[in-house]
Amino acid sequence: METIKLARARTLAGLAAMLLGSAAWSGTALAQGVSNPTTGVATANTNAANATADTNAVTANAAGRGQNNNSGGASSRAPTDPGVRGGDPGAGGALPGLNDVERQYFDVAKEVFQEVDAAADGLGPRFNLDSCSGCHSQPSIGGTSPATNPQVAVATLMGAKNVVPSFITANGPIREARFVRNRDGSPDGGVHSLFVITGRSDATGCNIAQPNFAAELARNNVVFRIPTPVFGLGLVENVSDGTLEASLAANAQQKRALGISGRFNRNGNDGTIARFGWKAQNKSLLLFSGEAYNVEMGITNELFQNERDSDPACQFKATPNDSTPLVSENTASPSASFQNDIDLFAAFMRFSAPPTPASAAAAPVAQATGASNVTAGQTTGTATGASTTSSSASTASGATSTASSTASTVVASATADVSSVMATAAGSSTAQPSSSASSGASVTRGNQVFSNVGCQACHTKTFTTEKSPLTGQSNVTLQPLSDFALHEMGVGLADGVSQGTANGNEFRTAPLWGVGQRIFFLHDGRTKDLHEAIQQHASRGSEANAVINNYNLLSRDDKQALINYLRSL
Amino acid sequence: MRVWLYLGIAVCLAGIGAVLHGTVPSSQDSKIVQSANPEDGKVIKGVFVSDYFNLSYRLSDELTEGLAGPPPSQSGYYVLGTWTPKRDFAGTVLVVAQDMFFAPGASDDVKNVVAEFRQVMSAVDGMTIDREPAPVSVGGHPGYRIDFSGVGLFRAMFAIEIRCHVVAFNLTSRDPESLASLARSLDSLDSARKEEMSDPVPECLKDYASGNIVSRVEPEGVGAKAVSIPARMIVATDGSVKHVHVIRASAAQRRNIEEAVRQWKFKPYVKQGQPVEVETGVMFNLKPTSM
Repeated sequence: METIKLARARTLAGLAAMLLGSAAWSGTALAQGVSNPTTGVATANTNAANATADTNAVTANAAGRGQNNNSGGASSRAPTDPGVRGGDPGAGGALPGLNDVERQYFDVAKEVFQEVDAAADGLGPRFNLDSCSGCHSQPSIGGTSPATNPQVAVATLMGAKNVVPSFITANGPIREARFVRNRDGSPDGGVHSLFVITGRSDATGCNIAQPNFAAELARNNVVFRIPTPVFGLGLVENVSDGTLEASLAANAQQKRALGISGRFNRNGNDGTIARFGWKAQNKSLLLFSGEAYNVEMGITNELFQNERDSDPACQFKATPNDSTPLVSENTASPSASFQNDIDLFAAFMRFSAPPTPASAAAAPVAQATGASNVTAGQTTGTATGASTTSSSASTASGATSTASSTASTVVASATADVSSVMATAAGSSTAQPSSSASSGASVTRGNQVFSNVGCQACHTKTFTTEKSPLTGQSNVTLQPLSDFALHEMGVGLADGVSQGTANGNEFRTAPLWGVGQRIFFLHDGRTKDLHEAIQQHASRGSEANAVINNYNLLSRDDKQALINYLRSL
Repeated sequence: MRVWLYLGIAVCLAGIGAVLHGTVPSSQDSKIVQSANPEDGKVIKGVFVSDYFNLSYRLSDELTEGLAGPPPSQSGYYVLGTWTPKRDFAGTVLVVAQDMFFAPGASDDVKNVVAEFRQVMSAVDGMTIDREPAPVSVGGHPGYRIDFSGVGLFRAMFAIEIRCHVVAFNLTSRDPESLASLARSLDSLDSARKEEMSDPVPECLKDYASGNIVSRVEPEGVGAKAVSIPARMIVATDGSVKHVHVIRASAAQRRNIEEAVRQWKFKPYVKQGQPVEVETGVMFNLKPTSM
């Protein structure tokens, strides 16, 4: 038996030596630190009715929270986020393999998802935006917050007199605001819509006021969420609870060596795993749709039938505003003609293909050493890194599938051609071409780094769907890069909002598929920089602290490779 | 200027032998109380002390306490402490514990836990197992060590078993030399208290609550959600419940479980003809109060 018990004197000698060594080293040691994040955010898709504030959680605004005193990432050593990957969005189309009837249904659903609603459609009286696709638009319909925030324009649309709250900016993320506590100190946690229809030309007679956001901000009582992308969620919906549970248990020993545990947010009615929304608070895509329609747009429906503000002077359509049509609406899909909006929203999500990663050789990368340069490469259309595709796998997003209905089809690992890259990297980065070989090597290395430091312990790579009623969607492998479990994320990310069994510090592991084309990161969109987003995972009480410590121990080249890999997704 | 580091090491090794006794807190500082819980460890005068696990771990002057970990999990998992170097960010120490009463998975002792860990890590792309799991003794506790590396990180896990918990020291560094130095820091692991000043450590028996409860009062449910709540308890030699530790629950759930369990009565546990205190665990599945 090996014994590690050594003489104490020897230990101290070693420690003293380390001290001396580090002093000698200090002349070349690079400074360590972490920059403050920008505060931000908003979102959709949350359960206002069920949300309650966690009185034990941090309630302050995001500003100044989440300091990680061990970031080890001095600015001179920090990797460069090359920014949003350009080229084909690789998302927004239908699942490969669907038959013609299913594709017609999807196409109609996608149109309805893009409809802009007015007061006569039931909009408001309180709302955050007037369409689904307004929030879910980056990099294509079904995505997340776009570069230009449409909430600024909608504030005064049709003569409305809304004041744009200070946390809404033209170039910032779309935001949903929640108050942590009520005025009497009791838990709130619900969504407080930003705007009212008062003053709009289609809402004559309505005279309600916006919440006093300035006062609530002054009380540090406002938290934010941004829209979550909805691509590929039908596949997620079709992963069994048993598969998710087995996945969480499969790498339990690795997680335990990293300070990670995790648990699921379970539905209170039937005990099954809820998996949608920032806190996995929504059980199904239909619930997700119905809630967002009422909470974000103020449109009541057959799941959420009652107006959140029932002032009779502000109602311009019978409730529920959205109901099942009993007469055909004559859409291109006979089935869709008899569906209410929330069913079609859910169908759009359920039938939509997951994001398509760039091939390793095509991914935008910043140089691993020296100046931060954004590079653009040409794609080869091959599979990414270790991801495997079956011979029957789909082509790029939105393309007609060649998969058979019985074969196992790998969807999420198919690759897209990327011909250009947006030069939106942080700092003074300049776009320039580089060899696809070096791009591919960096992305491949980044994939390895992702697994080695422990990111994949929670951002689980692969699941397989159950038997599906949709054509070609049974036994499909998906790579959402999430375990769909809740994890304690510390005071730095805590929003103080409890939903289902999720407390104010817990969040669902955010799926990272498509992250290469997202602009804003974390639940409140506080940063546009992936390195910063990674650092924000660490704070007092976070399960991610050890993984972030591992990240900070990496060489700059490997940090850069990880960022490049993420931008290839 | 790595050469300066090695020079420094040589100089220090040559001159330091005798510097070091008497800095661990006295046993009075950490006198055992049976109400101690796994998460109650704390740093006292540069020494991490856990009354529950009866451990003291002198921290290197090079290390500073890192960010606190999450609260205990629903499966009885604890992050006991994290330490990182004060200056150059060369390595970290993470100490965790898993309650084997509530651990998910089949591994039921430290040997199997480390074997399972080895299997998982060897499947990670680019990971190399540098040292196969091998028996070690840490602070007088038998356990296992495994070393592994990948993407420029050199890591080791020392896992030992105490009171039906697997306590693991996870070391991570940028180079093998630093890893060896971190490993040597475990030499300072010691008992937090002297045996003669301590209450006896209860016998830990996973399933003692099955079939040995004479009288049981059910806790009231709280809220509208069905939740599983792990709790440990120490059964006194007369069968009464001496201590209850509700591992993760809301304040109301905790209160209800504690109030109920304190009324429980067990069959006294007898070992070799002598009544012995027992530590066991129960997973409560509180039913919703409204649906």
